[in-house]
Order: sequence, then structure tokens, then C-alpha cells
Amino acid sequence: MSSTAATPADSKKVRNRIFIAVGTIIIIATYLYLVVGQPTDIAQSSFSQSGLIAIAGYVVGAILLAIGAIHRLPTATVAMVPVAIALNIVVGQIVSVIGLPVYLDSIGTVLVSALAGPAAGVVTGILTNVIWGLTLSPIALPYAVVQVIIGVMAGYAARLGMFRLFYLAPVAGAITGIVCAIVSAPISAFVFGGATGGGTGAIVGAFQAMGQSLLGATTLQGLLSDPLDKAISFTIVVLILAALPSRFRQRFPFVRQYNVFGRKAPALQHQTAAPAAPAASAVPAADVTDATPDN
Amino acid sequence: MIQLDDVSYAYPDTDHFVLSHMNLSIPAGSVTGIVGASGAGKTTLAKILSGFIPHVDGGELSGTVVVDGVTIAEASLADAVSHVGLVIQSPFNQISGAKFTVREELAFGLENLGVPRDEMAVRVAEVADLLGITGLLDRSPYALSGGQQQLVAIASMIIMRTPVLVMDEPTSQLDPGGTRMVFDVMSSLRDSGITLVIFEHKLELLREHADVVHVLADHQLIAHGPSRAMLADPRMEEWGIGSTRFTAAASEARTKKLLPADVELPVSIEDAATVFASFASSKGA
Amino acid sequence: MSSTLFDNRKSVIHRLNPVTKLIALLAIIVTVFAIPLWWVAGLIIVLVVVPAAVISGSGGRLLSLSLRILLPIMLVLFIVQGLTFPGGKTIIWQWGIIDVTSEGLLFALGIGSRIIVLVLASILLVLTTHPGDLMSALTERGMSPKFAYIISSTLQLIPAFKDRADSILLAQQARGLSLKGNPLRRIKIMLPLLSPLVLGMFTDVEERSTAMEARAFGSTARRTSLIPVADSMVQRIARWLFIVLALAAVATPILLGLL
Repeated sequence: MSSTAATPADSKKVRNRIFIAVGTIIIIATYLYLVVGQPTDIAQSSFSQSGLIAIAGYVVGAILLAIGAIHRLPTATVAMVPVAIALNIVVGQIVSVIGLPVYLDSIGTVLVSALAGPAAGVVTGILTNVIWGLTLSPIALPYAVVQVIIGVMAGYAARLGMFRLFYLAPVAGAITGIVCAIVSAPISAFVFGGATGGGTGAIVGAFQAMGQSLLGATTLQGLLSDPLDKAISFTIVVLILAALPSRFRQRFPFVRQYNVFGRKAPALQHQTAAPAAPAASAVPAADVTDATPDN
Repeated sequence: MIQLDDVSYAYPDTDHFVLSHMNLSIPAGSVTGIVGASGAGKTTLAKILSGFIPHVDGGELSGTVVVDGVTIAEASLADAVSHVGLVIQSPFNQISGAKFTVREELAFGLENLGVPRDEMAVRVAEVADLLGITGLLDRSPYALSGGQQQLVAIASMIIMRTPVLVMDEPTSQLDPGGTRMVFDVMSSLRDSGITLVIFEHKLELLREHADVVHVLADHQLIAHGPSRAMLADPRMEEWGIGSTRFTAAASEARTKKLLPADVELPVSIEDAATVFASFASSKGA
Repeated sequence: MSSTLFDNRKSVIHRLNPVTKLIALLAIIVTVFAIPLWWVAGLIIVLVVVPAAVISGSGGRLLSLSLRILLPIMLVLFIVQGLTFPGGKTIIWQWGIIDVTSEGLLFALGIGSRIIVLVLASILLVLTTHPGDLMSALTERGMSPKFAYIISSTLQLIPAFKDRADSILLAQQARGLSLKGNPLRRIKIMLPLLSPLVLGMFTDVEERSTAMEARAFGSTARRTSLIPVADSMVQRIARWLFIVLALAAVATPILLGLL
């Protein structure tokens, strides 16, 4: 189906890859500029454009990634993303009302990434913060890049089979949490001056009092909470995935392609996953069609 | 218009065939009713007729499905849905969820096709009038009752003007008045040349509005015929579909020799009235 | 039936093209973050945000919503940075081991004024712009309709989702379950509550995507929109003006050597 319209589809693919590549470069460059480029920056109290660069670099990078990613998503995935975002926001709110010391606002993002891959996770992540901004508080918007990173890392963790075993998921979550803490620290420092919440603010203050720079303090504060939060989130997602019917999970081309859930080797009784394989059934099969959507 | 040849299907990850060696031929500009017990594979067949199997659900589909001159398996999904529309069972899920008023909800499909604004407005007004939902146009699709949502769902597919329209239990949430109106709309669509396939269990209305009725049982279409003859068939009970109270009463009367053995069993109240009238006149003579 | 903060009124601000408001918001944010002077942020609040809020008629809601978000942040910001700012040297107040430095307070003022502008201006946009209009306007300008679908659909899904979550929590509490105790115990209680919530929502996805495909969601045609988005020459010019102003704001401190 896609072969008939090779040229426009290919040029679109190239365009999307460029978006993703440029978005990634901008995010990395932003972090490096803020951390390596100006280590003494804000400690001198000299107001600078670090805040602008932190917001602009991260937001523009995240938007480019999302634009490059969304074209890859088939309708079935697009229809699932709103459910995942609602899950992020509703659970995130319940948790904050109950007063748990974690956020748990990325369960939906991790879930979508595990079922539909990193591209779907990127879209879920950035739009979670956009909708958080539309419904609750614009404070979330500058942090969109963090959700994007969760989406990417959870997607690759799924490809590597980290969701096959119950005890691997928290490890993947903790690693994701470390990256999140490092990337989000410049926003907390240069945009919010370390004051994103009562508890976190107090911790930042404590680290500063111990002689840390502002960026150092927000980084350490993130490292205290993010790895734990993501490890718990990834574990919850493994539990949810185990509770979802296998038929639902196996509908996703990403799950079949990378054998995300291991155990049930899909190729054994059903050769349908491989498009070229002959139908292994008593019925004379005229055409066996793979469920891969034509996008 | 619709031609199924030796069609078999099993869902992914199963080796159980929901439908096996099925043949079906539906002429253009007709209303075809398909009845079957629950679990007989009605929703599966509806998805096959509209191209979602194999394009979305995957699984093993063999045989050929041709709708409106298009071989579904060879066409793209986008191409298939321009020939055949599908009204799914749940109106809540048929509604896109992305529109804040019924007016825009009805236009969702046309917007996706890039239909010019003026034409969209005309078509929205037309279809709203047809289904009596003009008064709902500025309401939120989520603020409607189940029945109102179902009318919006049906309207949102009729507006696409596909030559073939497949409806999976389109009146499940409607009251008797709404149900009757939807069936009248189907008849008027048929008169304008559209081919309709309805999966329904309201037998009296099928009797009135369907030209032909097919019976789905044991993974196959095992019988078909003109609506009255088919729906009054005594085997309907054993296929798990049942019969209308008029059929049951007349059948009982025939067993008790109150009616002649060659009487054509009634399905709807009109049929019953005819039978009763001829019975009364034969007694009176 | 949607969960945004949109405040349905008929003011001039409400009727502006959503893209005009969005570009104005971005220009304001860029300006306050580019020019490192707290009084620039103050001027923007006094000269732009407050008049716009008054004209829109949504000023009251803007005030109460922003106070709820800003008060805790400002409190923490001034206390933490006033006391522990790493560059703090000039002690202006001392009590025991507590030192308040003027550098710290100035830093808090600089950061705080920007945050106030960010929050006020963003919330004003959300209060005066229907999300559906914003999505149509952006789709018209080439944004993928998939973005518009996801955002609009989520906004309507959240109230439904919350209802389900609330009813589950209430049902559990009615059975005598207490959500107190140490965090680990609370997590253990939350887990079994989450599963039915999630599974219920995900089962609908399959059908909904089928219905969307039937209505040509996968079409590659250029989208049209039933409802026209209002626009005018004045707004078109204003948008370019905002962009130029934002660029000027970025350039100013560099040209003046403020950095």
C-alpha cells in the first residue's frame, strides 16, 4: 500500500526524521549550554538569559520531536493516547491530594510507550503537559521535555525487553528517573529558582545551605525523588500490562515486532506475524494479511 | 453490490474460525437484514463487510470480499471506507470525542475528507433534519442521552454518503418511536439508491423494512429469503433467534388446527391483521 | 462538559483569533525571560495583562486561579532564596543562625516576577479561548489533526475519568478503607484501585479507533473546518508586531551589554 506512493511517503519520512534529529540535538545542546557552558552563571546573581534558553530550548526541542513522532502513529494508537494522558493527569492529581511523596504523573506515558513504542510515548508525554497547562496550571508547560524523555526511554526499555520480567521494570524506571532529574534541573533552577513546591523547595534550600550551587541543588533534589518515582511508575505499568488481555496487547504492531512481553512467542502457532509466511491452517487462504497499519 | 465468496476468518492468536466458508450476495439498492443469536459473529461480519477486517483487526481472512466493485483486501482502508460506512454498536464510542458540539461532531468525517465549508453546512443541516436532531446541534455530544447519541452516531455516518452502509444494531438505545424513525430513514435511503445491511434483532421492523433476511448461525449464513418467509420460519427458534409474538401465536393456532395448515405465518401486526381478516372472512362465508 | 478553565463570555478578548492570543502570550513570555529586569515584568502586568483581564471580564477568575498557584511558589521562592541563595553576601537581617541576604531577595524578585507573568498571561489565554477554537485555528495553519484530536478528546475524557476514579475511591472508603498511614501502605492501597479504572478505559479504545477510521480520520486530504476562525487585517499585523517585539526583547540586553 505504501509502495504505490513511494516518493511523497519517503520525503515525509525524511522530513520527520529531520524533525526528530533536530529536536534531539536542541534538547542536548540546551542542557550542555546551561550546565557546561556557564557553570558560574547564576551563582554571581547576574541575571542572565539562562531561563529563556532553558524554556525555549527544551520547549522547541520537545515540539519538534512531537511533530516528527506523531506522523508515525496509526489511528489505533492516536485513539489510545487521550486515555493515557487522562490517566497521567487523574492519577497524578489523586496522588498529590492523598499526599504521597511521589508524583506518579507518567503512568500513562510509560504504558503507551510499552504498547506502541517511543514515538507514541513522546506524543503522550508532551501533550500531557500541554493539557495540564490547559486544565490545571501552566507551571507544567516548561517541564514538557521531561515527559518526552520518559516516553522515549520507556519505549526503548520495552524494545529491550525490560517489561518482560517484573523485576527489570523498576531498574529501567530508576535509570529513566536519573535522566529526568538531570534534564529537569536547569528548569527548576533557572525558571523557578528551585521553588516548584513546598517540600522540594525546602530540600533545594537545604542543599544550597550545604554549599551547593542552585543548579547543583535542584539536580540533587531531582535525584532524590525522580528515580524512586519512575521505578514505582514502571512497576505499576508492568502490573497493569499483566492485567490487560493478551489479545489487546498483541494487537499492537510494536508489541509483536519487538516481542515486548516475551513469554508468548507469537510465531509458534500463528505465522501471520511474518507477512511472507504461508497460512498454517486447514482453510485455503487466499491472502493472509498482517495487521500492521498502513501509515 | 456486495459479494462474499468462500470467506473464512479467525481473530489473531486464535485458531478458532468465527466465520467459515461463507458466501453472500447482496444486490444494489436493497435493505438486507442479518439476524443471529448473540455470539454468532454478527459484529465480525459487519467488520468484514466494511473493511476493518483485515485492515485493522488483523487475523486470518481467506476468500474474497467485493463491495461496490472494490476488492476490500486489495484496497487501502481509506479507499474501503469511502465505499462502505459502518455504524458500530456503541454510540458512545462512535462519537469522535474531539468535538464540542453535535454540529461539529456531524461534520467530523467531512472535515477529514476536506469537504468545502458551505457544502458541509448544507449536509449537516440535511442529515440533522432527516434524523430529527436539529434541536441538538449546539449541545455537547457528551451531554446527550443514549438514544440521542445513537441518532447522532447514525447521522454522522449517513452524512458520509457512502454507497453502502452497514449498521450493527443501530437502534439498541432507542425508544420505539426513535427506532421506527430510524427504520423509516433506512427505507428512504434505500429509495435514494443506497445499499443497507442491518444487523438487528427487532424482527417486526425487519419484516417491514428489509427486502431479504439472512440467518447467521454455526459460523455460516445458513438460510436466507424474503423477510416475511424467513422470519416466520419455524427453525428460527432452534437457531436461537426466536420469533415474534404474532408468529408464535399463529403457529400455536395452526398446531391446534384453528388455522389451516397452509396459512402463511404472520411476523408483524399487519401480517397478523391480514391473516385474521382472511380467516374471519372464510369463517363468515 | 470539558475540563478546561474556559470562561464563556463575549468580550473582545474572547473573540480574538486564538493564534493572535497565542503569539501575544509567547511574545510576553519571551520578553520577560529575555530582559533580566523585574520592573519590565511589572510593566507588562500593569500595561498589558491587567487591562486585557479587565476587558475580558474574566479578571476575577484570573485572580483567584493565579493566587492559588502563585502564593505557595512565591512563599517558598522568597524564603529559600532569601535564606540560602549561594551568591548571597549582603546580610540585611539576622536572627540566630538565619541570614537573609539582599542578593537572595533580589534573585527571588527577578525569578518571581517572571513566574507571575508566565502564570497570569497563560491562564488569561486559557480563560478567554475555547480549546476547540484554538485547535481549529492551529489545524488550519497546518498543525497535524492528530494533535487536535488528542487534545480535544482528552479534555472531554478527563471529567468522565475523574467520575470513575471518584466513585471507586468513594466505594472503597465506604467499605471502611482508610487512606492514611505510611506512604508504602498507601501505595499498596492505591494499586488495586488503579487497575479497574485503567482497564475500563482501555477497552473502549479499540471500538473508537474503528469508528474514527470509518469517518475518514486516516485520510490524507487537507482538512477543512466547519466553523470559520475569525480573523482580521489588524490582527494579522498585530501578530507580526508581537513577533518583532519579542525578537527585539531578545536582542536588547545583548546590544546594551547587560549580560
